[in-house]
Amino acid sequence: MSALAEILFGGLFQGSLYAMMAVGLALVWTTIGVFNFSHGVFMMLGAYIAWQLVEFGLPAAVAFPIAVVVMAGVGWILQASVVRPLIGRPNIVLVVVITTLAAGSLIENGALTIWGPRSKQIPALIDGNATIGGVGVSLHQIAIIVITPLILAALWMFLNRTRLGLALRAVAQNEDASHLVGLNVTALYGLAFAIAASLAGLAGIFMGGYRFMSPVMGSDPLLKALIVVVFGGISSISGPIFAAYLIGFFEAACSYYFGLYWTPAMLFGVLILTLMVRPEGIFASRSRGLA
Amino acid sequence: MNPILTVEGITAGYGRVTVLHDISMDAGRFGNVGLFGPNGHGKTTLLRAISGLLRPKSGRILFDGQDITGLSARAIVGTGLIHVPQGNRLFPDLSIADCMALGAYSPRARPHEAENREKVIRLFPKLAERWRQRVRTLSGGERQMVSIGTALMSDPRLLILDEPTLGLAPKIKDELCASVMDISRGGVPLIVVEQDIEFLLELTQQLYLVNHGAVATEIKPGESLDHGEIMSMYFGH
Repeated sequence: MSALAEILFGGLFQGSLYAMMAVGLALVWTTIGVFNFSHGVFMMLGAYIAWQLVEFGLPAAVAFPIAVVVMAGVGWILQASVVRPLIGRPNIVLVVVITTLAAGSLIENGALTIWGPRSKQIPALIDGNATIGGVGVSLHQIAIIVITPLILAALWMFLNRTRLGLALRAVAQNEDASHLVGLNVTALYGLAFAIAASLAGLAGIFMGGYRFMSPVMGSDPLLKALIVVVFGGISSISGPIFAAYLIGFFEAACSYYFGLYWTPAMLFGVLILTLMVRPEGIFASRSRGLA
Repeated sequence: MNPILTVEGITAGYGRVTVLHDISMDAGRFGNVGLFGPNGHGKTTLLRAISGLLRPKSGRILFDGQDITGLSARAIVGTGLIHVPQGNRLFPDLSIADCMALGAYSPRARPHEAENREKVIRLFPKLAERWRQRVRTLSGGERQMVSIGTALMSDPRLLILDEPTLGLAPKIKDELCASVMDISRGGVPLIVVEQDIEFLLELTQQLYLVNHGAVATEIKPGESLDHGEIMSMYFGH
């Protein structure tokens, strides 16, 4: 019983973090058609900004939202500086991989210079522990499990029930036609990056509340998010969300039965298998579009 | 009548390739305008330059007296100059309802959204039956109706149609031609690119033969031509 509870809990928790990261990657891919390799750095930067604000004496309830909003600005600026100028060039996908990697590296080393290599921690969302189904869990992790689906549902509502969300979905499907109905395509690109960066920053704040932070804390979650989007299909945002939880459960089960050591190898095994059997991802339709 | 659109000496192209060479034309002096000519000679490029998808290298475009050269496509949509691109690619994974909402996105069109929606449904009753269906699941003719419907939602003061009947079966084509005539009778001036000369002769009052990125011939009302003469313009003598 406690084995199942542990896997279930671990899966939900990891899945939440992966979903938060993967959705941002998918949002940027579907709207702009580029892959953002500085996404992991967004996560780190969100956590550090939150830490800094708490250090300045702000309560967490104020500091965290500010950090998320600041991250939206960071995402917008990054988009405007290293993505937008390249749009329309040949090989845009590859070129943007390089520019976002470069920008990510700069930000990562900037963080190292500003905040130093020593590990830090930010306050948990809720202090304390609980025992559920014979498994001891922290309330912080419970909070993440509850909050993440709410945020993802809000994002889904935004994309599917608002005019601005409709505009974002439209840009994802046909850029010329979007221009011709009068959409501000550049602003929508910026918005996609801003939302993605905010979500990544929030994931960073979640992570910084239970694990030690370092300037390279984003690279492993970025890798996992990549696995998630390849597995779930990057052409929608619901695919990666389901995939994130599946991968979360898979990882929890693997580390329970086979140990942490084998888990990454098995994850990549799943990834390779997916690429061989269904290269567009298991939840993907064959077209690009947000839904 | 004064022209609603004037194109003065536009030169434009893609990268180093120049497609339009100092092309001039106008629309609205006699009614609807038809553009015809061989493929790959700049008709679509001219439309893209007019609607702001492509920035001309030189020349001037005036819409209703306002200089719109170099304005963004969004700003041009805001003036009421609406362009329906070729090939009804549109938004494959959006529903018809979504497309209509997008058509009414510009602040100019939004107040008239409900009234324009009624107009579109009256013109294309078929769309109402499939209102929540994704565009990719529709037939070619229906997709073209969605394209034109979306443009009507933008409350056009001038409507540009790029080969609206391309690839359609004859019966559907006739239906669509009738709808386009309806739009014209409803008071919206048109610029239409079309390979079907019969349709153009019926719909438009002023014709331009576009060849090698320039206007080869302008045909004004009273200079009506028969089918044979136009064919010889197309294929040379």
